[in-house]
Amino acid sequence: MDFGEMARYLGAGIAVGFGGMGAGIGEGMCAQEANAAIARQPKVSDQIVRTMLVAQAVAETPAIFALLVAFMLVFGETAGEGLVRLAIPLGAGIAMGLGGLGPGVGAGIAGAKACEGIGRQPHLSGLLTRTMLIGQAISQSTAVYSLVIALLLIFVIGQ
Amino acid sequence: MSKKHWIALLVILLVEVGLAWKAPVLEVGLAWKAPVVEVGLVWKVPEENMAEKIGKVQQWEFKVKGHNVVVNSRTALTSFLVMGILIVSAAGIRRSLRKLPGRWQSVFELIVGFFDGLIRDTLGPGNRRYLPLIGSLFVFLWVSNLIGVIPTFEEPTRDLNVPMGCMLVVLVVVHASAIRAKGLKNYIKGYAQPFVVLLPLNVIGEMAKGVSLAFRLFGNVLGGAIIIVVISSLVRHILLPVGLSLFFGIFVGTIQAFVFAMLSLTYIAVAVND
Repeated sequence: MDFGEMARYLGAGIAVGFGGMGAGIGEGMCAQEANAAIARQPKVSDQIVRTMLVAQAVAETPAIFALLVAFMLVFGETAGEGLVRLAIPLGAGIAMGLGGLGPGVGAGIAGAKACEGIGRQPHLSGLLTRTMLIGQAISQSTAVYSLVIALLLIFVIGQ
Repeated sequence: MSKKHWIALLVILLVEVGLAWKAPVLEVGLAWKAPVVEVGLVWKVPEENMAEKIGKVQQWEFKVKGHNVVVNSRTALTSFLVMGILIVSAAGIRRSLRKLPGRWQSVFELIVGFFDGLIRDTLGPGNRRYLPLIGSLFVFLWVSNLIGVIPTFEEPTRDLNVPMGCMLVVLVVVHASAIRAKGLKNYIKGYAQPFVVLLPLNVIGEMAKGVSLAFRLFGNVLGGAIIIVVISSLVRHILLPVGLSLFFGIFVGTIQAFVFAMLSLTYIAVAVND
């Protein structure tokens, strides 16, 4: 029985399963606050929708990383010897999956409050969008660490 | 363009050729090599079905004076096509500018005006010099993503090299602007900013920003393409692929290009302002 293949598929499932969870919640929060803000200030709805789309695109990033890692696991080859064959794909999947959960929710919360803020003070929208992007970019750095470790495990450690 | 600009372009081209000559061929990712023949260019297309080919990058490999030169053929050709489209349309509009804009001129004016306003809001009125960079990034990435909707074309952003290249340009501009605005000593001190122990974390954070910028665009485009292939093969290529292709190509492509440009602008604003 090829444990390597089994571990690859398990790892892919864990990666996308957990990684998608965070992004889903985060993007939903962005949409939630954007709707509340539009109800409050219909005149700036263009601005709010644009900010919401940008915030959602950034909040989705950990899920996209998880998707990439899952593709590499499913369509790749198992590497390593012995029990390491089992551990590498599972490790990569857990790293990307759980590591992508937090940043997705965090970026979503940031985007949500930015949209609400634009609803309250439309003339500050430039400053709010900029601060939101900076905060989201820094909070996504842990997702990048997970991606780097997952790629390291799949491509470098095995051979 | 002034003579300075031509000289700078020549230097960049020479550096690029030199690096391609001497750079080791990195085996990261999935690459599909055509067989090497010692006489000139070779490009063989083995018959594989779409699903196996999807993550792979078509390459030309040829020997020049004993060195191996590897070029990602399809990426490079489609990028040149995109650039050709942009340059021809820009030159065409430029030649027929009118005070009362026609249709195409209005579209271009919309895009330029939008980014001009964005840069003025984010960076202040004196920083218009960043408009060519941000605008070109957006337009190039946007047309690159859109060209994937046309049936036999593959968007150049599907290859990791293209988002990486754009990201490197942005990174150099960000750090150069920071050094120019703050001075070298303040720039370096900025890394030790709240506490000195955070220095390695700040440095790694800067690199993580760059990596996330590149991988976000790459992942969205390639992931979308793979999803289209997988779902199409399940639905036996009826109807659903068209809708998915439009969604991933047009909607996601436009948003990701815009997010790339916005984030670059934000990084420049952070570097220049505080």
